[in-house]
Amino acid sequence: MTDAAIVTQKLTRRFGNLTAVDSVDLTVTAGQFFGFLGPNGAGKSTTIKMLTGLLAPSSGRAELLGLDFAAHPVEVKRQIGVVPEGMGLFERLTGAEYLQFVGRMYGLDRPTTQRRSDELLDFMQLSDRPKTLIADYSHGMQKKLALAAAVIHGPRILFLDEPFEGVDALAAGALKALLGRMTERGVTIFLTSHVLEIVERLCSHVAIIHKGRLVAQGSLEELRAGIAGEAGSKTTLEQIFLSIVGQDGAQRPQLEELSWLM
Amino acid sequence: MADVASARLPGVWQQIRLVAGLRWRVLANSLRKKHNQWDLIGMIFAGVFATVAIFGVSVGFGFGAYTIVSGGHETWIALLFWGVFLFWQVFPVFTAGFGAGFEFRTLLRFPLSLRAFYVIGLAYGLADFAAVASICWLTSMNIGAAIASPGILPDMLLISFLFLVMNITLERLIGSWIERVLARRRSREIFFALFILSAVSAQFLNPILQRYGRSAQPWVKQLLPYLSVFPPSLAGQAIAGAVQNHFANTLIGVAGISAYALLFSVLLWMRFATQYRGEELSESAAPTRAVVRPVSRTASEPDALRLLTPQVAAVLRKEFRYLTRNSFAFFLLIMPPVFVLLFTTQFAGRHPTATRHPVSTEFFFPGMMAYLLLILMAPAYNSFAYDGKGILTFFTAPVSFRQVFLGKNLLQAGMLAFELTLSMIAFSYLVGLPSLPVLLATIAAIVFNIAGQLTIANWSSLTFPRKLNFGQMRGQRQSGMAVLVSFGAQILLGGISAPILFMSRWTGDKWLPAEVFAFLAAAAIAGYISSLDPLAGLAEKKKETLIDALSR
Repeated sequence: MTDAAIVTQKLTRRFGNLTAVDSVDLTVTAGQFFGFLGPNGAGKSTTIKMLTGLLAPSSGRAELLGLDFAAHPVEVKRQIGVVPEGMGLFERLTGAEYLQFVGRMYGLDRPTTQRRSDELLDFMQLSDRPKTLIADYSHGMQKKLALAAAVIHGPRILFLDEPFEGVDALAAGALKALLGRMTERGVTIFLTSHVLEIVERLCSHVAIIHKGRLVAQGSLEELRAGIAGEAGSKTTLEQIFLSIVGQDGAQRPQLEELSWLM
Repeated sequence: MADVASARLPGVWQQIRLVAGLRWRVLANSLRKKHNQWDLIGMIFAGVFATVAIFGVSVGFGFGAYTIVSGGHETWIALLFWGVFLFWQVFPVFTAGFGAGFEFRTLLRFPLSLRAFYVIGLAYGLADFAAVASICWLTSMNIGAAIASPGILPDMLLISFLFLVMNITLERLIGSWIERVLARRRSREIFFALFILSAVSAQFLNPILQRYGRSAQPWVKQLLPYLSVFPPSLAGQAIAGAVQNHFANTLIGVAGISAYALLFSVLLWMRFATQYRGEELSESAAPTRAVVRPVSRTASEPDALRLLTPQVAAVLRKEFRYLTRNSFAFFLLIMPPVFVLLFTTQFAGRHPTATRHPVSTEFFFPGMMAYLLLILMAPAYNSFAYDGKGILTFFTAPVSFRQVFLGKNLLQAGMLAFELTLSMIAFSYLVGLPSLPVLLATIAAIVFNIAGQLTIANWSSLTFPRKLNFGQMRGQRQSGMAVLVSFGAQILLGGISAPILFMSRWTGDKWLPAEVFAFLAAAAIAGYISSLDPLAGLAEKKKETLIDALSR
């Protein structure tokens, strides 16, 4: 019996000649708030898609809660919640209709679905427009609804692809508190975000992917300790990230080239 | 940061050139996609066809103007102006519903003066197909009239110019309002629904004209004098005055058109000024104060779909909601019974018909049912079309696609049953039902057809998915392959029916088709059920294609 929530072995995904994710070995322990970082196009979303059944790996395997995803897709999906890239909402439903639809798809009975749907809409401050279609929601409202749909069935692992993008500060604060409470109760959260401050504040463990390869993995302390010659515990995640990903100077934009702007 | 201060803004003409260049680049870049290269071929064909049409009609307008002026019927030239006017104003309204590829107001992010914005707006109006065609026709009219009476040319040129200015400003004014209306999803859908409704209603024009045409003529004649105050009649009056040397008539006509042009210009300026100042066109809900959450209504109510699994019931409910919120799909459902009504009243039955020899019910009834199936089954061949990004939910939820297909197909079958029953009731009232063997054979054939087609349609939906958007007409095409599969399936199933009907006639056994179709229906239902699991496996294999096609 292992307490690993997510384990990947040589997880690889190729698109023609491009290897988007290259032999990624990842281990996330149950109850961890796990941040998955990388520059644009590094392979974050591709990895999440493979871990949530939206994309088949070219090779390698993914195991969630001790179950091989390829062998037990329905059983795994029953225990995970996802906010995918693009959110995947049915835009011609109202928020309540969508939550009821998702609840029923996860096999919840109608009264439970109804009760949880009402509570989630209240919590996300979306209950004041019961007849508004999702198509008419703002981006932030859609994001909150996607989050509500991801947790309605009480998942044991939650995958969040850029969950705070477009969400106002008030709602973001409440969401962070909710996610914190969920991890305290043993839920594993796997999160990608470009906002490193959020990841640093929320996540206990971090992995960094670059050009499809996993280049760092561990707790924040372990990553700090791994950077030679730095100021130890004062090193921020941004500095860690830049020192690992931005090592080849050719990748960093040269400000001198924009001298006309300054 | 000295560049902002020292940079000189481009002049109006340069800005017009930049906008034209931008539109060209948008078009050229869209052709990079392989799919759009077929559009290019289509555009070339359409371009050739349009050129021929414009040229042909130009000859007609030129000849018409020549004949009218040389024949001394100068007042009739107003009819030609009316033709140009109606085409110039009405054609862009109909094409606007197909969605503007480029929204003119987006130019407002650039540092344009209101004057430049106005001039570019007018120039933009001149680049419209209706404007180009209308200008060609006006030019032809000038040439035709000048050949007939060279002295009329200066007056003709002046009036045509004023008429042109009036038309551009009016067209831009209407276009600007339509752009504003279509910016909102709801109004776009209402517009779309009205468009379809008017297209359907147009089918009834012929029967109405046949029945009421003669009695309506006096009413129409009474209305004609009121048309004289409109710009095309004023233009005709001015030309007639010029030819007949009635200076007062010419003056009234010219003053009238000028007044219209001035009025529309002022209104257009005010409209553009509103746009220029900034106009709220956002579709997002405006912030409101939170209200008390409504009490849950359904928690204690019995589930009307409790015989189904929760997942199938959820998909069925979602599909029903999508159907009622999709004006296009909804009207597609309304249309077939309306056409059955129309065809029945014209070609068959015991009531008065348009034809002297009504078609026998024995043939007409199965024919009408086959026609209904042909139309109503078409959406099933691309059943994920309107799901869009929602397809991700089907793949992240712990369900097999067997359940998704069951939910979708149950709704399709339910709607078909409803529509067919409705049509049968209308049919039996207007014409009377066919004999029992034909009725039962038709019903069994319908079941066979639906089950057989749904099996093939589910495969087609997974293999040739194409995203369609609600309330939008531009670029809303099914996959060519899905259309071919749909035709192929209908030809196959129709082909199976033909020998059965032939055998019945040959053997003289009236009940044979009913028996054979009942057997085929049972086999098709069994085939449908056994296809669901393999199709669920196929969905898993095709998920990347599906997600990619529907999430764009």
